[in-house]
Amino acid sequence: MSSDKSKLPPHVPAEQHQRAEQAGANDESIQKVHAILLREKSEPSEGFTPMPLFLLGFISAMIFVCSVYVVHYRGDFDPLVYDERFDAAAAKAAASGPKVLTPEQILASGKRLYQTCAACHQATGLGVAGVYPPLAASEWVTGSEERLIRVLLHGLNGPIQVKGNTYNGAMPAFGKIPGGGYNWSDEKIAHVLSYIRHDWGNNAEFITKDKVTEVLKAEAARAKPWTQDELAPFAQ
Amino acid sequence: MNRAPLIFLGIFFALAFSWTGIILTNHLSYAKLQPVFDETEGKAFPQKLPGNAERGKEVYRDLGCVYCHSQQVRQPGYGTDIDRGWGERGSVARDYIHEKRVYLGTMRTGPDLRNVGARFVGDAGRDWHLQHLYDPQITSKGSIMPPFRFLFEPRVIVGEPSPRAVQTKLPAQYQPPAGHEIVLTQRGEDLISYLLALKDPALYPEEAARVYVPKADPAEKKTEPAQAEAAK
Amino acid sequence: MASSLTASLNPASSPDLAKRAELSAIDASTRAPALYFFGSSVLWLLVGTLFALIASYKLHTPEFLGDVEWLTFGRARTLHLNAVIYGWASNASFAVALWLMARLARAELRHVGLLFIAAAFWNLGVTVGMVGIAIGDSTSIEWLEFPTYATPILFVAYALVGAWAMITFRFGRAKHIYVSQWYLLAALFWFPWLYSVAQIMLLFEPTRGTVQGLVNWWFAHNVLGLWFTPIGLAAIYYFLPKVLGKPIHSYYLSVLGFWSLAIFYNWAGVHHLIGGPVPVWVQTAGIAASFMMVVPVIVTGLNQHLTLVGAAAALKYSPTLRFIVFGGVNYTLTSIAGSLMAMRSWAEITHFTHYTVAHAHHGMYAFFTMVMFGSVYYILPRILLKEWPSAKLISLHFWATAGGITLYVVGLSIGGIAQGLAMNTLPAGADGQPGAPVAFMEVVADMIKYLEIRTIAGVIISIGHIAFAVNFTWMLVQPRKTGATEPTLFRNAPDLEAAR
Repeated sequence: MSSDKSKLPPHVPAEQHQRAEQAGANDESIQKVHAILLREKSEPSEGFTPMPLFLLGFISAMIFVCSVYVVHYRGDFDPLVYDERFDAAAAKAAASGPKVLTPEQILASGKRLYQTCAACHQATGLGVAGVYPPLAASEWVTGSEERLIRVLLHGLNGPIQVKGNTYNGAMPAFGKIPGGGYNWSDEKIAHVLSYIRHDWGNNAEFITKDKVTEVLKAEAARAKPWTQDELAPFAQ
Repeated sequence: MNRAPLIFLGIFFALAFSWTGIILTNHLSYAKLQPVFDETEGKAFPQKLPGNAERGKEVYRDLGCVYCHSQQVRQPGYGTDIDRGWGERGSVARDYIHEKRVYLGTMRTGPDLRNVGARFVGDAGRDWHLQHLYDPQITSKGSIMPPFRFLFEPRVIVGEPSPRAVQTKLPAQYQPPAGHEIVLTQRGEDLISYLLALKDPALYPEEAARVYVPKADPAEKKTEPAQAEAAK
Repeated sequence: MASSLTASLNPASSPDLAKRAELSAIDASTRAPALYFFGSSVLWLLVGTLFALIASYKLHTPEFLGDVEWLTFGRARTLHLNAVIYGWASNASFAVALWLMARLARAELRHVGLLFIAAAFWNLGVTVGMVGIAIGDSTSIEWLEFPTYATPILFVAYALVGAWAMITFRFGRAKHIYVSQWYLLAALFWFPWLYSVAQIMLLFEPTRGTVQGLVNWWFAHNVLGLWFTPIGLAAIYYFLPKVLGKPIHSYYLSVLGFWSLAIFYNWAGVHHLIGGPVPVWVQTAGIAASFMMVVPVIVTGLNQHLTLVGAAAALKYSPTLRFIVFGGVNYTLTSIAGSLMAMRSWAEITHFTHYTVAHAHHGMYAFFTMVMFGSVYYILPRILLKEWPSAKLISLHFWATAGGITLYVVGLSIGGIAQGLAMNTLPAGADGQPGAPVAFMEVVADMIKYLEIRTIAGVIISIGHIAFAVNFTWMLVQPRKTGATEPTLFRNAPDLEAAR
């Protein structure tokens, strides 16, 4: 590359000859590089326009609003509180009274529980022909408490007659019985049975938790599902 | 250049502040969350998953179920989780203390699974999951859940049919040709065990004492003393 | 040490020319690592786009590739996310961060061979991680799915990149620390902390119960807010005034925007857990922080808007500017949407729905990815010393990606809101009391058309990506032209030196 040396002006010091050589630069490539770089605007800088006043007001308002929000919904900073509306004082007052559910609350609870039953008996309460009996206008539902409670507690197997039709499905046991899968509490059994006795045109008496407990105790030894014949004594 | 240490300190404290406030505080307070012994049941809740369910959780992880299914029930009145029967109460932190991996999930392309073990129970539950995993269209027509047929092994019957053959649970159009059977793999078995084991117990006393109780409105109360008594 | 190029100039030339030559030498020093990072990012973009299309299609047509285990939706979706986050977006971030840091600090990158190794390690780590997910070793922890045998490789790579950025900054000649540098330094410091804490507290020594949820969402939201967002903002703060030839409107707004982002953004992550099994006070804190985010967002948006105002005509010509401004506007929009979504009443509806997915793509794509595209269009000619081969391909790229992402976000947001209303509110019952919830399968059926719209949007976006990849590759292989060249613009600019 010694020919390049001769292109440099004579007043350029010797070490710059060296560097120009190392850069492998000839006039043409410097020109090219500069073209893309030359057309660039200068490097970015910041102006010093002062902040608009409204912005300070806006930010202060935001800080205020968010602080109020945090204080209001802090749940007492208690790690066991999961509801932002929780108020320790109100909770204490409510806990002191006896817990009695209104009929509406029982039916609402039963309705939620019924979601599990709807898989077979359907949301319409009409069941599936030949397999799952309907609950709507069913004599099994609106009739004897003793029979109905037993069906839900221990389950039901074998063909049954409902409204003159035959159904042959397998109803699992929902009560707290030995080997039971669902293990629903007596209260839950009472709630869901009360619900099915009040929907789809049915209107029969609420079933109480105490009644369910009584039946469960009476059948404490039973672990297998009922058949229609076995339930006949309880049908009235 | 002289501003650099200041910027660095600010950046450091900004992150340290949030880590301390969000994570450290809760990490410390959760140490107090222990299982609660229930007198009537004679057991401490929450319970640990049984062995093969724990293995099934690994299958849940490797197939990425968490990207469509959540495992957290929201509080009553917030969303419709409880109205849908996805749980009887909102999930609380104590429910998850035994879990080495927590798959809360952030999408409900499919339903919440926190209490799926209370909705599909026992042998009937197992059969439902079998069908649903083999082809979701069997149990849920129109579902967008993908099929998981690779959790099943179609094979030639050699000698005695396998006790883990499941083609009898599948509808007619899925039956293998004669002399063949469809066997549930161990992975599939474990996954179903996991799904059957997912359920949360009743609310623990400490959390129950902190449930939000709306102020009673006297005008709303419909008193039927006899029924109220009977309903207890 | 003055660059040899500067030294080779005629001593009588202007200081401006000397500065340009210095920048040229700095660009030359960044060439190899920047090219490797950008090249890798484009490859991962294509990989991530492919998995995106597969995952999107599977959601409305579940039988598609239904028997291929490694492509089951739970894995395909995860492969998409990790390819675009750690493959495309992070590689692009490294390239942009190094190039910007070198230019702004006015320091040449030295010993770039080691950065090459860093890039290779990063790509190795991502590849190992992706294969791990495909074979079933995903952790199923969102944004942290790489198995633990892949992450140490990433750590080595990151350590090298981070160290190099610090050294470049430390030995730079610039006296004033420009706003982009604050954001870059912050991002480069925050990311390894976030990732390490998450790895330790979720995988190596898992913390108790739902604290894992808190760690997960502190981590994942901050990867967006404290790694990608600052890099995106650093790029906007550089390219916007650079292309326009105007200063940033106000230094004071820059300061306020930066610090308010630093303080509030990292508390916001808890909004992913609203209504979840974590103490309500931390949820409230996350919501409050999410609201406060409107402050840095409006301040930064104001700063950028007031810089652009009066010079917006350049948008007709400059690809860089168009992508950057599209990104900047969407940064403002997606952040305001995010603040609104944190309201409990809104979160009740849209949590767990496709709306969240639309929002995530609004931020990561319409803001961050578009800003990265703009950055590539500016940087590549300067490190390759070539011009973009085809203005038509750039135009196709812009319209396909801008149009596609708009269809995606708008379509899926509408779908998500419909899904949320049906899933999370009770319809009025016959007796005036709330009725039974809408059946789940009915909600699923209603969503199919929105999921199909998303796939269509994805195809449109993919066309843009292919145009970009073709142009990129063409530029790499085309020979360098001798003599002066003109920038590749959308249309001919009246005064050329004002362009680009």
